[in-house]
Amino acid sequence: MLRIDLPAPAGPAQRSLTARRTLLFALSLCVLLLCLAASLALGSRSVPLSTVFDALSGSAKPTDTGAQVVTGLRVPRTVLGLVVGAALGAAGAIAQGATRNPLASPTTLGINAGASFAVVTAVYALHLSQPVQYVWFAVAGATVAALAAHAMARQSGDLDPTKLALGGTVLAAVLTSWTSALMLFSRRTLDEARFWLVGSLDGRGLEVLTPVLPLLVLGLVLATAVSPALNALALGDEAAQALGVPVARIRATAGLSVVLLAAGAVAAAGPVAFVGLAAPHLCRRVFGNDHRLLLPGCLIGGAILLLAADVTGRLVIRPSELEVGIVTAFLGAPLLALLARRAAR
Amino acid sequence: MTTTITSPLRAPGSARLRQRRRTLLLCLFTLALLVTLTAVGLSTGELSIPPLTALRALFGFGDSGDVLVVQQFRAPRVLAALIAGAGLAVSGALLQRLFRNPLASPDVVGVTGGASFGAVLLLALGASQLLVPLAALGGGLIAAGLLGAFAWRSRAAVGRLVLVGLAVQSGLAAAVNLMIVRFPAELASSALQWTTGSLYGRTWTEIWVGGGTITVALTAVLLLDRRVAVLDLGDDSAGGLGLRPDRARLQLLLLAITLASLAAALTGPVGFVALAVPHLVRFLAGPPTPATLALCGLLGAVLLLGADLTVLHLLPIAGLPVGAMTATLGAPWLLVLMIRQGRPMNRSTR
Repeated sequence: MLRIDLPAPAGPAQRSLTARRTLLFALSLCVLLLCLAASLALGSRSVPLSTVFDALSGSAKPTDTGAQVVTGLRVPRTVLGLVVGAALGAAGAIAQGATRNPLASPTTLGINAGASFAVVTAVYALHLSQPVQYVWFAVAGATVAALAAHAMARQSGDLDPTKLALGGTVLAAVLTSWTSALMLFSRRTLDEARFWLVGSLDGRGLEVLTPVLPLLVLGLVLATAVSPALNALALGDEAAQALGVPVARIRATAGLSVVLLAAGAVAAAGPVAFVGLAAPHLCRRVFGNDHRLLLPGCLIGGAILLLAADVTGRLVIRPSELEVGIVTAFLGAPLLALLARRAAR
Repeated sequence: MTTTITSPLRAPGSARLRQRRRTLLLCLFTLALLVTLTAVGLSTGELSIPPLTALRALFGFGDSGDVLVVQQFRAPRVLAALIAGAGLAVSGALLQRLFRNPLASPDVVGVTGGASFGAVLLLALGASQLLVPLAALGGGLIAAGLLGAFAWRSRAAVGRLVLVGLAVQSGLAAAVNLMIVRFPAELASSALQWTTGSLYGRTWTEIWVGGGTITVALTAVLLLDRRVAVLDLGDDSAGGLGLRPDRARLQLLLLAITLASLAAALTGPVGFVALAVPHLVRFLAGPPTPATLALCGLLGAVLLLGADLTVLHLLPIAGLPVGAMTATLGAPWLLVLMIRQGRPMNRSTR
């Protein structure tokens, strides 16, 4: 469970702590930069870093195909990965903090399944064929599913960790079976939607990002606003109440920010599993449990995870590639098992 | 997470007698329902055949067209529903008692998800359709093995078991997704069918193999029921009665998982039957005895057959997998359980 670092007495210890954290942030930013560079340079056709620099600074020859690959395909893809990863990481951190549940995440809350069902329904009924057109349906489905999962967990009294995870899982199971039924019913829907359903950064430009950007920004603002209060919430509802924290309002705001961030991310990249779950756990190891530091840490950590998974997916079966959603699920499942082992101890 | 399971050994005599009579009545009623539904299943469809003619056609008498329809298309489907329903329900009942948790079931712990992984993997390798049930069985056992490797230690931590099951399931689901994305569209469709659970196109070979093995496993469960009853008393008492609790539990657990895998090999991962039926039986017939276990099997068979007939004849949408139907009906059920279990528990365990 979460702990709060008590405010340390000002002095050399405090200063060294601050110095250490600054160093950690600098280091993680460096790792992020490395991931960005790898994402721009590596792929089915690897481009030397010098060409990447030329392409970014605009000094490359217009006939250079390597530079064209970088500016035309890799830059949009990398930006998408950066934003989606950061949003998922932040959503996971806030979800885990607000529910005091180390296993809460966009996936376990049913958000992904909700978005998938809405998108598949839209593809079936409205004959959509472009990921850009899916965006608003994904947002709507994710929002409804998240509200339903939350309502179910609420119903059973205090927001119980296991109940929320179970409620979300049940909801996801039902929605998934409906999604499959719909796809079995219509071959065309199956063919259109199955590539979206695994979660991928491939083949969608920045135009999927522009409509959801306001949602993501609003979600991030809300997340930043509630993160100090989440530290008090970690002490338990009663203690937080005694400290003067409006628990219900904080939790509602946090929930809203999770839905905005996760729904925006799912709408842009499809249901990418486990980044929202894993990023906060890894970041808590590095940055500690103070949500004011954990949130920016998770923004960086989530982006690193998603970009690294995407690059891995591009490299393992060259010249073809694995979708990023599949890579994260393969890496994330053992992680979830280990977390469950530890959480129960 | 504990539930109180009153032991049958402690029930006073007259109450026990009353329960036995009640269970017997329920069994007879369910059996009648089963026969009716089977008759409906054999006689209705595109070609309507009177029930008695259908029964004769099942054994090869009468009009050759009727014989073909009943023997080739309707009977395998009805039998698959009955066998798989019984297997799933008994497996769920056994798991719930072993873990002393009303939420344990083969779909929650990931066994049936493993079965769909095995089946899809075989389709991916391009092997014969006939081997698919075998692969589903293997997949279910693999999932159970993974689950055991991560979660086996104590019987109490069911929360952990469920979460590890979730992890196993999502890892296997990622593998299934990978294959669905990579397949050509026709194969992707039949792979998808194996992730939802459906009763289309069962053959007699599958029925004989599946039915035979499931019957053996069901008999074993009934024979071993005494051990479960002793385990219900708690580990110390069980040890005092000369039973090694850990070994007996592992044995029974393996049996339950095999049963669920066999059932899933026949129909794919049909959700929520294994979860809902034992609750229904406990509600109707009281604390578990060998007779209620039999009732579980009967009711599971009736439920799955009923759901399949609904999908086949009552709904306007053609080709809906029966798994979607059971999930839709079963999910509210599970939620009600969660809520009911939640209320008193939050007070006492905090």
